Amino acid sequence: MTIKLIGYPISTPTLRVVICLKELGIPYEFEPPASFQALKDKDYIANKHAFGKIPVLLDGDYVINESRAICRYLVSKYQGKYNDTILIPSDVHKAGLVEQFISYESCYYDSPVSKIIGQEVFAKKFRGKDPDPEIIKQGREDLSKVLDVYEKLLEGKEYLIGEFSLADIFHCPCTNLAYGIAAHSDLWDNRPNVKNWWNNLRNRDCIKKSFEEVKN
Amino acid sequence: MSIKLIGFPASGPLLKVIITLRELGLPYELEIPSNIQAIKEEDYIKNKHPFGKIPVLIDGDFVINESRPICTYLVSKYQGKHNNTNLIPTDVHKAGLVGQYVSYESSYYDPPISKIVYQEIYARKFQNKDPDPEVIKQAREELAKVLDVYEKILEGKEYLNGEYSIADLFHIPSTHYVYSIDAHSDLWDSRPNVKNWWNRLCNREAVKKTIDEIAK
Repeated sequence: MTIKLIGYPISTPTLRVVICLKELGIPYEFEPPASFQALKDKDYIANKHAFGKIPVLLDGDYVINESRAICRYLVSKYQGKYNDTILIPSDVHKAGLVEQFISYESCYYDSPVSKIIGQEVFAKKFRGKDPDPEIIKQGREDLSKVLDVYEKLLEGKEYLIGEFSLADIFHCPCTNLAYGIAAHSDLWDNRPNVKNWWNNLRNRDCIKKSFEEVKN
Repeated sequence: MSIKLIGFPASGPLLKVIITLRELGLPYELEIPSNIQAIKEEDYIKNKHPFGKIPVLIDGDFVINESRPICTYLVSKYQGKHNNTNLIPTDVHKAGLVGQYVSYESSYYDPPISKIVYQEIYARKFQNKDPDPEVIKQAREELAKVLDVYEKILEGKEYLNGEYSIADLFHIPSTHYVYSIDAHSDLWDSRPNVKNWWNRLCNREAVKKTIDEIAK
């Protein structure tokens, strides 16, 4: 039975899972919810996601939600089954560092990028409001400090732990949206190691294909 | 060589690691930084934590930071070595669900409870400010909705995934801090499944020992 992924491509958490599925070569079916309202239905809350969110992954009878948890599950079950791509190394120390960088993404990187894309991408589209320049300015300042740290962390490395890993994937969806806005690509492009890292990522086949799905 | 843990004793993230070390039966040394400034110094930033945070764990030559990655590293390396306590199941589907509940803690539970912790404990102590009743009221309402979901999740179960796991553990420090405030214990005590879950967690040896130390 094929894996089924419930979500929207423009949702950054959904896109994390899409990239992960593609990188591991896992076949899947994509099912957008009927509507936003459908996520709050009693049936969805009882059987798919207790907090009424996406993405949700169905693997046979097994239901799992929360994007980072879904990705770790996919790695632990399918890594090495369809191709040679390693997203979490088997070495316990390297794997520990992957988790550390995943924590950096959710604790330090995600919030300022989300401020920017929350205004530039989502405010008008979903809330009918104009982007708030104050919030964007704050987001850029906060993100600059984080990217200064990343510039040092990436010294002599192509990816966060050296080799490509799940930690790099988790940074992709929100970065894709923010970098795609001309006024903000400088944040990455002004820092040579960060620029190099982002170019490596966005030129990977699976990641390129995943970003195409967001556009459509 | 003993495991070394760096952090401030009352810190919630540090307590996650301490409880994990104790649950796994692992000896360790705690090193308390001399003050807040010490963790912003160049040497600390370069060699311990690039964002100047605690906790940091040093295991021989291996340095890892961020509390949740530290804990999952300890589990992956030491689970079953010193005792029989299982914090992450070996079964890939059960482990996946533990990961899902870990994500619930950081995505939904932690934000409102951290607001209450900050207002009730840190504002006065570290910033000479009075707790803001509006913020507390809002956070209580948000946490109440989360605990309503937990009440359903815990129906017929002793712990979030049935058996005790790292997902339950991650909830302990912040819950202890807020539950200990008389005005807020009702949030847990008024929900039978949640109340039982919390009592069960408090009665674990490793948890009791750690909580007693905070009181001192």
